[in-house]
Amino acid sequence: MSETSRFRSLEGGHGALKGAQTAWDMLSEEQMQKHITTGCEELDAILGGGIHCKEVTEVGGVPGIGKTQLGIQLAVNVQIPVECGGLGGKAIYIDTEGSFMVERAHQIAEGCISDLLDNTAHRLKDFPACPEILQPNSFLANIFYFRICSYTEQIATINYLEKFLEEQKDVKIIVVDSITFHFRQDFDDLALRTRVLGGMSLKLMRFAKKYSLAVVLLNQVTTKFVEGSFHLTLALGDTWSHACTNRIILYWNGNDRHAYIDKSPSLRSATAPFLITGKGIRNATSHCKRVRMM
Amino acid sequence: MFPGIEPLNPLLLPAQKLTLGCPVLDRLLRGGLPVGSVTEIAGESAAGKTQLCLQLLLAALLPPSRGGLSAASLFIHSEFPFPIRRLHALSSSSSAADPLGHIFVAAAHSPDDLLSLLATADGLLARPPTHLPVRLIVVDSIAALFRSDFDNNPKDLKKRSFLFFKIAAKLKEQARRFGSVAVVTNQVVDVVGSEEGANGQRVGNYASLWSSGRRVCPALGLSWANCVNTRLFLSRKDEIADDAGSSRTRRWMQVVFAPHLPEASCEFVIVREGVSGIEPQRVAGR
Repeated sequence: MSETSRFRSLEGGHGALKGAQTAWDMLSEEQMQKHITTGCEELDAILGGGIHCKEVTEVGGVPGIGKTQLGIQLAVNVQIPVECGGLGGKAIYIDTEGSFMVERAHQIAEGCISDLLDNTAHRLKDFPACPEILQPNSFLANIFYFRICSYTEQIATINYLEKFLEEQKDVKIIVVDSITFHFRQDFDDLALRTRVLGGMSLKLMRFAKKYSLAVVLLNQVTTKFVEGSFHLTLALGDTWSHACTNRIILYWNGNDRHAYIDKSPSLRSATAPFLITGKGIRNATSHCKRVRMM
Repeated sequence: MFPGIEPLNPLLLPAQKLTLGCPVLDRLLRGGLPVGSVTEIAGESAAGKTQLCLQLLLAALLPPSRGGLSAASLFIHSEFPFPIRRLHALSSSSSAADPLGHIFVAAAHSPDDLLSLLATADGLLARPPTHLPVRLIVVDSIAALFRSDFDNNPKDLKKRSFLFFKIAAKLKEQARRFGSVAVVTNQVVDVVGSEEGANGQRVGNYASLWSSGRRVCPALGLSWANCVNTRLFLSRKDEIADDAGSSRTRRWMQVVFAPHLPEASCEFVIVREGVSGIEPQRVAGR
């Protein structure tokens, strides 16, 4: 970035170079395009455009705050066609808790498609494949779903992905919902648990970089009694804190759902409100009247 | 070790629901309780939790066309005595042949009891002694299992928490493997003090939950809340019905959180025939 600003300061005195880009500009532009919208503009904004590909993002929050909703939303939104400004990719959804409900995923897919048809109608005019692709069942079929019932199954599945991703080049997001559930039982050997979690996170980080996809790890919260008061902390926090590039916390602010950036190499700490509607994750309206489509 | 790892098309996931035995309550839950999932029913004593569970045991016997699972059930109780007379009375209106012969009852006195019962249940689920498979498992209640064995110090709370996750993982694995419904009832504790306390932490669609005029929250804390897929809350309120001073009990079922349901609530009554939802009154002009 410093290269760019140096160049820009020179630009004023060199009219012939006006409009030219540095190689850095081109590279950052190219990299900036690879993100997945959350469905909420304000949340996308504090994320610098959306969930980033090539990075591991942890999303934590209490039960019912919307982690699974966000996970499913991203597994749908990754499929937004390139013609409509999306990635046109597929999703892997690793469900360790049994929270993924097809009927809800169907609603969210329907909601995404209906918004695409409303908002990008002009772009879709020239899109011949439109009717077949923009069907909720097609979107659901593009989610590779894995149901995990133990930590050993979780490890085996992530190892399996090694080969799977070689063959399925369209996958642009891996969602793990949730990453820690099966590790919160008693482990006779805590060092083993740390090694296993560490190994898993490194593998996922490798997948993110090698296949230019987004890895989103949903995590539970727990309470820690520190210095006389209770603090909310992410489950198995100490074993994880280094493993994720970004961390988003979903939380209640009064009666409103909010998200804040807890960790990021490039984004500053910021918060954004969001809504969970019948169509999925959407912008929070600033007026008193809330539009909730059930 | 896992030769069968293969991705699934979500469209092929089981989407069956078990009716609550009442169309109004079913509408609140978009059909009933989902298979492959753990639903918690929390509420104070006499809120209607056990009544609802008994109703579910009988509903499971109904054919899928009527919202049932054509299945037998396993009822694990930690509260005593088991309400056999009420179950018998309810079963008299069941259309199934020999309902009581298809309901297996076991008692658990501790978390370890529950875990060993669930381990044994694998055999029951895989090779049912009746011609009907077992596709409903009820634990009534989870809270009673943890009442005496654990103190409030961090070490015991940690030990308790490990057991929550072990129990939940087992219930979920069985629910997934056998396409069954898992229901766990829970008690409530009073919420004392400020919002910042551990119990004051908001979980779900409601800033606070009330029953019998007291602010309450489901027992076993944030740990256990992380273990269930759906949390339903039953509440009650005694109201003075008229000038004569007679009181009546009003009851509500609320969706505290669920991956497939929006925030919603429904009033219900408990009558001789069972738990029955009250259709919300339509306001003229809406």
